[in-house]
Amino acid sequence: MAEMRVLGSSRLMKLALRALILVVLLALIIFGLYYLLSQSYPFRWNLAFNPKNLDAFNEGLLVTLQVSGLAMIGGALLGLLVALARLSPFAILRDMGMLYVQMLRNIPFLVFILFMYFGVSKVFSAGPTVPVPLLDIEIDSRIFWGVIALSLFEASFISEIFRAGIQAVHKTQIEAARSLGMSYVQSMQHVVLPQAFRMIIPPLTGELIALVKESALLMVISLEELTLTARQLVQQTPLNFEFYAILAAYYLAITLPLSFVSHLLERKLAIGKAR
Amino acid sequence: MIAVQDVHKWFGLLHVLKGIDLEIAQGEVLVLIGASGSGKSTLLRCINGLEKIQHGKIVVDEMDIHKSRTNLNKVRQEIGIVFQSFNLFPHMTVMKNITIGPTKVKRISPQESKEIAVQLLKRIGIPEKADFYPDQLSGGQQQRVAIARALAMKPKVMLFDEPTSALDPEMISEVLDLMRELASEKMTMVVVTHEMGFAREAANRIAFMADGQIAEIAPAEEFFKNPKDERTRRFIEKVLAV
Ligand SMILES: Nc1ncnc2c1ncn2[C@@H]1O[C@H](COP(=O)(O)OP(=O)(O)OP(=O)(O)O)[C@@H](O)[C@H]1O
Ligand SMILES: [Mg+2]
Repeated sequence: MAEMRVLGSSRLMKLALRALILVVLLALIIFGLYYLLSQSYPFRWNLAFNPKNLDAFNEGLLVTLQVSGLAMIGGALLGLLVALARLSPFAILRDMGMLYVQMLRNIPFLVFILFMYFGVSKVFSAGPTVPVPLLDIEIDSRIFWGVIALSLFEASFISEIFRAGIQAVHKTQIEAARSLGMSYVQSMQHVVLPQAFRMIIPPLTGELIALVKESALLMVISLEELTLTARQLVQQTPLNFEFYAILAAYYLAITLPLSFVSHLLERKLAIGKAR
Repeated sequence: MIAVQDVHKWFGLLHVLKGIDLEIAQGEVLVLIGASGSGKSTLLRCINGLEKIQHGKIVVDEMDIHKSRTNLNKVRQEIGIVFQSFNLFPHMTVMKNITIGPTKVKRISPQESKEIAVQLLKRIGIPEKADFYPDQLSGGQQQRVAIARALAMKPKVMLFDEPTSALDPEMISEVLDLMRELASEKMTMVVVTHEMGFAREAANRIAFMADGQIAEIAPAEEFFKNPKDERTRRFIEKVLAV
């Protein structure tokens, strides 16, 4: 017992040392580059960190979070449906699912947004807002179509992740569930999906992070999310390096916690372990 | 209780069941033996509708399993099945494994299901393992939980497909004892097994399958004493030799 604790603490020491070396190296590289650049480029961080600029960034952050959050929900739900269709006993559903995935996965997202916003949306309505039935509110049409495009596009990737997860659950699990008298839906709900979900947490979070990053492309439909905000700030005051560095930091502030949460979830949900 | 009439089953071009006829009375224990690949598992899986048949008829408790109008989910509540590899749900505790059927399929209240499960856990001798996960149990314990999971549905028929084949030798008897107990309570059972001791003691009749057919079926004693079919005789010699 005592031996194990000693071992544990020496491992901890090693880890801390590695982290320290990493931080020092990173600091050296950053400051080195920074020093070199500062010889020719006058950094003006105090201007960049003007509260007005930060307010603009925070507003952009809010839009990015809203759009990504909604698209995550939409993309995951639709992705699950497409995955189930692709695994269903009905050939027509399987074929439709396959068509969906093949079409969406094989066009650039940029093209898809342009098509959805400047093409499809004009077929439905041309107004600056889209009324939402039931909720009785109007949504900015850029947000509406941004969320729709991102959800539809990501669903094609997410569905493949779900499909792989479901297929990785052993066939005998479905047989055991059906043998108890569970319907197809019940065996999916209680037996297959909970097990599949545990397996797909890492690739699924990877895809959700990709979704956040892709939302940057929504700037082409003038949606004032983070990236467009940075562009506009740069046009007002040419602090290119500063603003884009801040922009990158904002994205990291969204995506790094996501991978951290995924890591925690994965450990917490490890199959068959008492919580 | 179970009537199998002239059942044929193909996997693609492979003719696996070639005209099976069987009658199993209520409370009877039928042990099914036969060489590997002779179709024993397939026959069991046809009885609870996990596999489709291409010809013939299987009736369990007056329900025609393979008629398209039959509600298989309903029929399966009456037919418990225990697999060689347990197939417990690894993400659920032992308690949840046992109560999931009664609560979700039969829609019995959670409290009542829990009481059923507690009784069953006591009966299989591991009441203290209720909150464990399957991979924290020994093979023998897992198989007993699998039996309890099936029994929780209060089935009229129990099917066993080599329930002890995946177990370490020292765990076989704890599972067989439980099955003997069930037999003595007049549960209708069809058991595929290589455990000849169990067959001798617990079976009312023994059927020998060879090449997709039932080569011989006889009361246990007679089956061992004077087998009529040549293949049966060879099989018995082989299994009794080891
Ligand atoms: N899903 C399937 N698809 C194709 N062939 C199959 C399938 N399941 C079983 N078979 C074939 O059907 C035949 C009978 O298999 P079955 O599993 O019923 O035999 P068994 O008597 O249970 O053998 P064992 O003692 O090895 O379990 C075998 O030749 C097997 O390869
Ligand atoms: Mg078998």
